[in-house]
Amino acid sequence: MILSLMELRNFRKHINTNLRFSEGLNYIVGGNGIGKTTVLEAIYLMCSTKSFYAKDFEMLNFNASEFEVKGLFKGITTDKVRVYYRSADLKKYYFLNDKIITRSSDVIGKFPVVTLTPDDHSITQGAPSDRRRFVDSVISQASKTYLNFLIDYNKTLKHRAVVLTKLSERIIPSLLDELDAWTENLINNGTEIILHRKNFIKRFNEYLKQSYFKIMGNDELPEIKYQTIDIGDEENIKGRLTDLITQNRENEIRRGANLIGPHRDDFIFEINGINLKTFGSQGQNKTFQTVLRFAEFFYLKDITGNTPIFLLDDVFGELDAFRASKVSEYLKEVGQAFITLTDFANFKYLSKTETDLVIKLQDGETVYV
Amino acid sequence: MQIAETLLIAIDELSKLPGIGKKTAQRLALHIIKADKESAEKLAKAIIDLKEKLMLCKKCFNLSEDELCDICKNPKRDQSLICVVEEVSDVIAIEKSHEFNGLYHVLGGVLSPLMGIGAENLRIKELINRFHDEEIKEVILALNPDTEGETTSLYLAKLIKPLGIKVTRIARGIPIGGDLEFADEATIGKAMLNRIDL
Repeated sequence: MILSLMELRNFRKHINTNLRFSEGLNYIVGGNGIGKTTVLEAIYLMCSTKSFYAKDFEMLNFNASEFEVKGLFKGITTDKVRVYYRSADLKKYYFLNDKIITRSSDVIGKFPVVTLTPDDHSITQGAPSDRRRFVDSVISQASKTYLNFLIDYNKTLKHRAVVLTKLSERIIPSLLDELDAWTENLINNGTEIILHRKNFIKRFNEYLKQSYFKIMGNDELPEIKYQTIDIGDEENIKGRLTDLITQNRENEIRRGANLIGPHRDDFIFEINGINLKTFGSQGQNKTFQTVLRFAEFFYLKDITGNTPIFLLDDVFGELDAFRASKVSEYLKEVGQAFITLTDFANFKYLSKTETDLVIKLQDGETVYV
Repeated sequence: MQIAETLLIAIDELSKLPGIGKKTAQRLALHIIKADKESAEKLAKAIIDLKEKLMLCKKCFNLSEDELCDICKNPKRDQSLICVVEEVSDVIAIEKSHEFNGLYHVLGGVLSPLMGIGAENLRIKELINRFHDEEIKEVILALNPDTEGETTSLYLAKLIKPLGIKVTRIARGIPIGGDLEFADEATIGKAMLNRIDL
């Protein structure tokens, strides 16, 4: 899928911006606050029906009462997307080929998208929950079955926490039976989640190695290690999870909380066996985050058979010249990508072929350099 | 503009019904005014009868006009088979299939601690009592395939199995008559996991 045209009306700073894109690399250049990231946000909005982070009304220009984003996607078929927001309704409307779409799940996956943003620092440097969110989002995009296990598991956790809290106040025998039922459900869904994550990491590590090599060009070995319940040598995850929960039953009741299960998983990022979170430099972290998104891109492309659109927000700001030129070389293998830059003149080492575009945003104007 | 109070009251009452908004309620009320008196009386009586004539079956808690519902009273139905459902509407759905010839038990909900619903709020004790009073050989659990329904099934299975009664759960998978290509991924995924030998 290639995004070939886009129109923005009253979308943040873009009062009326028309853009045409290359099917290769699109460098979006301009000064601070001119609306470069907003262009990526609009693309993301069309692909996923929401912003990366903002609420709908936040995307509306301060002086306007409605915004509109229109795009033309070309693949085997041609698809027209229009997203329209009206402050009077406090609601946005999504149209695919002039037909209104009411369930976002009808669109998600049709225009797959992978984003690399400065917020990605939390994946390697933040809390375990940030890493779980990254892993879950990649697996879910490829497997709705996994997404369902995850939704069920999270609901079970909430119900079970209520039962555990009640039991921590007072032990009621009949409530213990209820706890057992929620525990069994937690084990069933939890086992599936651990299995899916385990298989995913095994497979994803191959993609990670390849992307790392492309960007670093050396024989350092990156690896993600999956840290879950203490499985030991046991093949039988379900049996092991059952044992652990049984052993911790009293502890869980006393604390009134879910203590065992994949909701406490973590993923350790390593380079040559050295823990990135503890020993990595800022540059190494940034490189790893970039590598993760490239790996995600090629993983999703292979699994879904649908080439994602790649959005890279300010990736070159923190990379040295060598790594930046490697990244831009590597982007040639991607297909269509959108890259924001503060000033293209400073980035002479970035590769640009005939078909690639440099789109310069100036006050109210778009110039193709 | 002044509207007759009688009409306002009728609109207000009608709009309390599920799926009926103010505008629809107004249309219904005006329609009733236009119609002849007899049909209005029939409607009023039908509504009153719902409350006066219907009760819950003593045994299975299905809707009934007697202490025992028509299903529990029917000697042709398999008295050794109980199908456990969440609500009365589920009984109606299964009855329409004409594939089940046993008895029912309406739980009146599912376990949901977040909503404050525990085992004591459901008709579980009443179900267990039936195993003493009746000759039950098998219990079929037909609860909704969501997190809460699933957990309630697990809870009931654990409770019933030690009594030496067979416990089964209805299958889940691809809807009949539907095209495979239109089924969502989750359903197809579950159907694959629950595949059967031929």
